Amino acid sequence: MSQKLLDVENLTMKFGGLVAIDNLSFSADKDKITSIIGPNGAGKTTVFNCLTGFYKATAGSMFLNKENERLNLRKFSDFKVAQKAGVARTFQNIRLFPQMSVLENLMVAQHNKLMDASGFTILGLFNSPSFVNKEKEAVEISKYWLDIIGLTHRADDDAGDLPYGDQRKLEIVRAMCINPHLLCLDEPAAGLNAKESAELNKLLLFIKNEKKTGILLIEHDMSVVMEISDHVVVLNYGKKIFQGSAKETKNSPEVIEAYLGTEE
Amino acid sequence: MEKKFFQTSIKDSLFTGLIALALFGPIVGLRTVAKNEVLEVHPKWFIVLIIVIVCAVGRFLTNLYVYNRDQKTGIQSSIGKSISNFLDTKGYQIALTAIIFSVIFPFLPFTDRYLMDIAIMMLTYIMLGWGLNIVIGLAGLLDLGYVAFYAVGAYSYALFAIHFGWSFWICLPIAGIFAAMFGVLLGFPVLRLRGDYLAIVTLAFGEMIRILLLNWYQLTKGPDGLTGIPRPSFFGLPFKSFPDEGEQTFHTFFGIEYDPMQRIIFLYYLILVLALITNLFTIKIRRLPIGRAWEALREDEIACKSLGVNPRNTKLTAFAIGAMFGGFAGSFFATRQAFISPESFTFIESAIIVAIVVLGGMGSQTGVVLATVFLIGLIEVFRDFESYRMIAFGGAMVLIMIFRPRGILATRKPTITLEKSSSK
Amino acid sequence: MDTAYFLQQLINGVTLGSVYGLIAIGYTMVYGIIGMINFAHGDIFMVGAFIALISFILFALTSIALPIVLLLTLLIAMVFTACYGWTVEKLAYKPLRKSFRLAPLISALGMSIVLQNYVQAAQGARIKTLQPVIQGGFTFMEDTGFTVSLSYLQIFIVLVTIVLMAIFTLLITKTALGRAQRACEQDRTMTALMGINVDRTISITFIIGSSLASVAGMMFVMYYGVIDFYIGFLAGIKAFTAAVLGGIGSVPGAMLGGLLIGLIEVFWSGYISIEYKDIAAFTVLVVVLIFFPTGFLGKPDIEKV
Repeated sequence: MSQKLLDVENLTMKFGGLVAIDNLSFSADKDKITSIIGPNGAGKTTVFNCLTGFYKATAGSMFLNKENERLNLRKFSDFKVAQKAGVARTFQNIRLFPQMSVLENLMVAQHNKLMDASGFTILGLFNSPSFVNKEKEAVEISKYWLDIIGLTHRADDDAGDLPYGDQRKLEIVRAMCINPHLLCLDEPAAGLNAKESAELNKLLLFIKNEKKTGILLIEHDMSVVMEISDHVVVLNYGKKIFQGSAKETKNSPEVIEAYLGTEE
Repeated sequence: MEKKFFQTSIKDSLFTGLIALALFGPIVGLRTVAKNEVLEVHPKWFIVLIIVIVCAVGRFLTNLYVYNRDQKTGIQSSIGKSISNFLDTKGYQIALTAIIFSVIFPFLPFTDRYLMDIAIMMLTYIMLGWGLNIVIGLAGLLDLGYVAFYAVGAYSYALFAIHFGWSFWICLPIAGIFAAMFGVLLGFPVLRLRGDYLAIVTLAFGEMIRILLLNWYQLTKGPDGLTGIPRPSFFGLPFKSFPDEGEQTFHTFFGIEYDPMQRIIFLYYLILVLALITNLFTIKIRRLPIGRAWEALREDEIACKSLGVNPRNTKLTAFAIGAMFGGFAGSFFATRQAFISPESFTFIESAIIVAIVVLGGMGSQTGVVLATVFLIGLIEVFRDFESYRMIAFGGAMVLIMIFRPRGILATRKPTITLEKSSSK
Repeated sequence: MDTAYFLQQLINGVTLGSVYGLIAIGYTMVYGIIGMINFAHGDIFMVGAFIALISFILFALTSIALPIVLLLTLLIAMVFTACYGWTVEKLAYKPLRKSFRLAPLISALGMSIVLQNYVQAAQGARIKTLQPVIQGGFTFMEDTGFTVSLSYLQIFIVLVTIVLMAIFTLLITKTALGRAQRACEQDRTMTALMGINVDRTISITFIIGSSLASVAGMMFVMYYGVIDFYIGFLAGIKAFTAAVLGGIGSVPGAMLGGLLIGLIEVFWSGYISIEYKDIAAFTVLVVVLIFFPTGFLGKPDIEKV
């Protein structure tokens, strides 16, 4: 049996007296899509913020199991989670760099390897060949992803000028540019119409199958969740109330009660 | 025109007049004058009356303009856009013309000592503006204490030159490194602060440096300042009118008459070169990963963190490099004046440089030049009017923020494009 | 003698602290309601000082009794300075409410420069002196070798501050205005949707802050007897430090912070060095912002990701 990519055990997050996440345990596989669903306020984004170092979890553990190492995510502060651990994320309210071009957005994602190649800028100042080549390579990688989402023709436009659906896709591929082991997507389908949701599904399946990246997904859009999830974790009031396959989740009485309430 | 509009406008104007009376009545209308150690109050009602009338009428006219403007399309924003477009498309030509002009400037027929001094001052501010542009314009860090690095550069240059007798070309880089070190020192604890707080802290640092310089008499001679800073030489050839025995000076070496303008012209080219180096460096570094990271950090720090960009180191680098150029400018200032004192390094200097960067358009190199010419020109032209020019200066800051908050040149061009790079 | 000296510093510190506290309230209220640092607030304090000065000079020509002069000057300073606060907000800040973060700050900077130079142009650049208005006081502990003096003026300053604080706290906690203010601090859009006139609430905030600053100005000119157009800058920074120290957004915090800063400044001058007393204030500012940004009574600011 393959070891799980992500092991979360007894995760607890308290804000003063408010318990946002209560003793949560779940796992996510690499090359699988795991969805986290639940009513608003269930604590889903908080889980992401703990995983990606934006919040310091009150208690519990989160382990990322890569080829040869087992990383304790609690030890990584916000930017190190992306830089060293290899966990990428997107945000509920899209966080692109709106005044920078689409291509520049993707280049920023490849910052660290380009910084190294530029010899902390010194080599870059003198146009050293190693830097120039690395930069070309980064552009190629950017172009590769732009082709996949069909935005190559808009590479030099400001990211803020893109239509909403394209911005969402761009944010996802930008996260992929850091070559993550785990990709955390926060409501990527929010605000997308049926056609755009279908394209999103295609993109996520591509990432799962071709790139073998584990995907953790927060979503409300059930068409996306049911269509592509391999595993579903259901939260309510910060607690896990159910986990299983997509089909099982749909039919689970606990889940139905959480979303719709019980019959009087 | 509707009667209702008229009525409300009149009421509005009267109200404005009343407010103007309350504002200007006491402060302008009752001027305190010292007579034999005691203050008297001299009424100046006539001036107040004029001001009140101007305000009331002005308010009426503004309402009229707004009323009419709502009926037609906005002329104002299209003027701004066409200026931006013009500057964008003709960018290179304009820059080239500007450079050629500045190179031949000292030899133009109308250029006298006065104009040269102004030009040198403007170029100094332009260099400071380009330096601060890295911090504010690119990295988005509001630094209200930039004058501190200017001062550190000037004082370290002066002290090294006076006590060790090293030449300008050695002291300059050392002063820059000193200033950069200060930048790291000051930046390290504060760069994670939010915008407003960072601004106040940097302001506090600027003032602390000034107070230190003012009071540390042993080192800096306090308010007396440092004199006898060695004047610059042309690569070893001093600019002296009466050479010592056996000494070669600039004019003897080139076999020309001595002219005090020679040193001035040399200083001019010196600051021109320094400024251009600052500019070229900035243009280059914008295209490098660190420059891109600065701009990304300015746009959205959280997104940067999620991509693995180290915000603290990135910000520190911007701060330190900006400080370094401020230090270089300070060295130049010290050698040009041959005398420095804490008086030259007050908060208002920081404010002027900040105004130049923000008004020029954050991140825009050309904008800095335009803003400097406009603002420093404003201050110079009204030199005789003391406080009034500063009122105009402050007023300009407010007005530009209201009407054109992104600055004169607000557009930004990407530093890397797909068409250019894939056509290789 | 040491106790006496200490006591004197304490008295002086509380007096100075009251002045700083009054100014600090203006900073904290404005920051609470529109989230900006009103850079020009220190200069509003300076304007208040000048108006009080002019008022005193004019009243000196009459034979009106001192208590009435004090009361009238207080009211005159408050009313006219409030006009300045109101106008600055309408001209320089209101148009920028939806603009990017730095815009109001730059605008405030410009306004500060305008105010300083405007007063300089209108009143002349030289320092202005005022003959003492309230004289005399108590002395005690003469036998210890150091005479502690508590002047009537100092008592007056602290009393006025206490009274104003009382009136003002009542205003904030018990009236509809106070509720409107707190609502605006939480969520401006929602408050507007509830039918509250947000613009008016903000204007009133500025008016109150400016009035209190003008009282501080009046106290300042009475206490030190010397003012110029530049006093706003330094006092402003110290008062801002006080606001942050007490917890930005908290009015009692501002007064607490003011007292602390006043005490720190006086004790530093009294025991360590008087030349570097301003550095002491700046250092406190830096240290507080770096290590203790929420201050004593402030609420922590959690940024939503």
